[in-house]
Amino acid sequence: MWFKNVLVGVFVLFSALGCSETKVDSKPTISIWHWMTDRDPAFQELAKKYETLTGVKINFELYAPSDAYSQKIRAAAQGTNLPDVFGILGEKRDFASFIRAGHILDLTSYMEANNNSWKSSFFPKALAVNEFAPKNSYGINPGIFGVPIDIMTIQMVYNKKLFTQLGLNPNRPPKTLQEFLDIGAKIQAAGMQGLVSGWGEVWMIDCMANNYAFNLMGKDKVLATIKGEVPYTDPDWIKVFTIFKQMKDSGVLAQGLVTMINKSAEQLFANEKAVFAFNGSWCVNVYKGMNPGLEYAAMLPPEASDKYPMAIWGGAGSSFMVNARSKNKEEAVKFLTWLTDQDQQVYLAAATNNLPANKNSLSKIPEILAQFARGMDYATHPNVWGVSEFSLVIEAFDRGIQSIIIGEKTPEQVADEVQKIKERELAKKRAQ
Amino acid sequence: MKHAIYYKSKEVVANTLIHIFLISVAITCLYPLLWMISSSLKTQEMIFKDISLIPHQFRLENYVLAWREGGFGRNFFNSIIYTVSVVFGIVIISSMAAYAFSRLRFAGSKFLFIIFMAAMMIPIPGSFVALYVLLNKLHLRNTPIGYILCMINVGLSTSIFLLKTFFDKMPKELEDAARIDGCSKIGIWWHVALPLAKPVLAVVIVFNALAVWNEYILALIIFDNRSYMPLQVALQSFQGEFVTNYPLLMAGLTITALPIILVYLLMQKYIIKGVTQGAVVG
Repeated sequence: MWFKNVLVGVFVLFSALGCSETKVDSKPTISIWHWMTDRDPAFQELAKKYETLTGVKINFELYAPSDAYSQKIRAAAQGTNLPDVFGILGEKRDFASFIRAGHILDLTSYMEANNNSWKSSFFPKALAVNEFAPKNSYGINPGIFGVPIDIMTIQMVYNKKLFTQLGLNPNRPPKTLQEFLDIGAKIQAAGMQGLVSGWGEVWMIDCMANNYAFNLMGKDKVLATIKGEVPYTDPDWIKVFTIFKQMKDSGVLAQGLVTMINKSAEQLFANEKAVFAFNGSWCVNVYKGMNPGLEYAAMLPPEASDKYPMAIWGGAGSSFMVNARSKNKEEAVKFLTWLTDQDQQVYLAAATNNLPANKNSLSKIPEILAQFARGMDYATHPNVWGVSEFSLVIEAFDRGIQSIIIGEKTPEQVADEVQKIKERELAKKRAQ
Repeated sequence: MKHAIYYKSKEVVANTLIHIFLISVAITCLYPLLWMISSSLKTQEMIFKDISLIPHQFRLENYVLAWREGGFGRNFFNSIIYTVSVVFGIVIISSMAAYAFSRLRFAGSKFLFIIFMAAMMIPIPGSFVALYVLLNKLHLRNTPIGYILCMINVGLSTSIFLLKTFFDKMPKELEDAARIDGCSKIGIWWHVALPLAKPVLAVVIVFNALAVWNEYILALIIFDNRSYMPLQVALQSFQGEFVTNYPLLMAGLTITALPIILVYLLMQKYIIKGVTQGAVVG
């Protein structure tokens, strides 16, 4: 009898459970893939905070290192398995290919809602990296397709203590190229190392050379060169190449600079063995880890001319994109709006030593970060120029500057060689 | 007498030079290992300031932090499962396939073997997207079995090549004797070929174990779920885009290197035999 009762009881229980209304969780879970190891703990913290505020769960999934992350994103795009939010590493043409394939949501309407309230909170140049202008060369409909999480600028830094030892004013870095070159003699006399940078990784040479190209001939002429309308043998380009020879001859460059990787350069500067470094704003975090007591300040590369303003590379450091096929895209946009709000940006800057993308956060961040962030007024980046140089030309250009520094070639020889490669590539393009 | 002294001193000089050369090679091999262990016991600041191999202060807590922050527990277990399964799969499949290529005559055997060898020429990263799409279609993406199958596939070509070369040179008389005793083809493979191939199998085991143990890119691409990730992925969490947590990374690397060093030490005798005497069989 008792067995029968148990059976009936179990039947009733299961029937009740079976008939009961299934509790559906109406709050979605947003999945975000990223590669930023150093920012992951801060992201996780913000995700918890957002869940407490809204009930929406945010899953930040870290896939490092960045090159493996890039492969994962490409593979996921092929299999249409992209998460709700993700970042794209690489050049603007890669970004454009994702948009063309329909993977990325156009955020323009969200950015411009409520009288541009979201859009106007960012540094315009941070947004420019994620923006496609009308009639862009990538064939993408104009619009904003990414949300900058933080920004970066590539500038120069100088060691204040070594400046004092050289008899220089630690609060007055050199403003002109001549002032900078004059310090070379003092550096040599004191047996110190001058400028260090990751010029063995060549793209940083490209970056500095472009800074001086903008300063000497202005943006229009630089872009005209990329378009093939101005040759690299133009006197202004020869002047750009000559600056590197002048630096070498003045003794302001550190020994072994052309083969130096950035990690070695950072170590030399952090250990107070070099007076200057040419580095990105990420260096604040790096130097803090290597030598927390380092006294240094950021400065723009010294001007070679007053004809055009000095330009530095800068813009969005990291950006997130919303998956256009995601069923949670509205919630994803809401979360990104919250993440780029002033308070969250200040928290991210403090926790990660990266520059905030929200321009209203500057007053609340450490001075060295603010110095780098103020450089945004001079920022430019190849990704916002709308035209791209041939990779073979870039390689010849950078290798040529390396040859000038080691005294293998003259600026004129390098200009000739770069121009020849440019003409060859242009001819190939026309033939296609 | 004069000649004896001459030859003796010549021998001493030659031996000294050989030893100096070997010691410098050994130091070159061991120095990175010692630097790794030394850095795992320092602070981040000391790694960049103090270049001595013996730290002034031993920070053993780096190992605890690396284990905890890297989430090594689960990943360590995963790596062991993946390594054992993949190596087992490779040993069974490649030894059977190599034996078949060496002893059985069937239509297209040479062509099939060339196809396997051609697979050795394809760089692994080049096949990642294709593998991803294939696993996705088979609903094996983000599953341990999908990863294990891919890794078995990656290791097969080289292993088949090594084993086939060995089986080709194995005396056929041993197999004839086994056949007279009533052994089937599978029986000969199991009772004769495999026991004789121990040195080559040791090489196959160690090389593949090393490859699986150190693999992380394919795992990172096909797994979305972090609980399936192998140990090497956990190590990447200490390596940022611009900032690397060297003490924890080195402590993590030391932890991950230990099992593979152990496997190598256990099989050292066979590996040396396999590499140096691969041609002498039977």
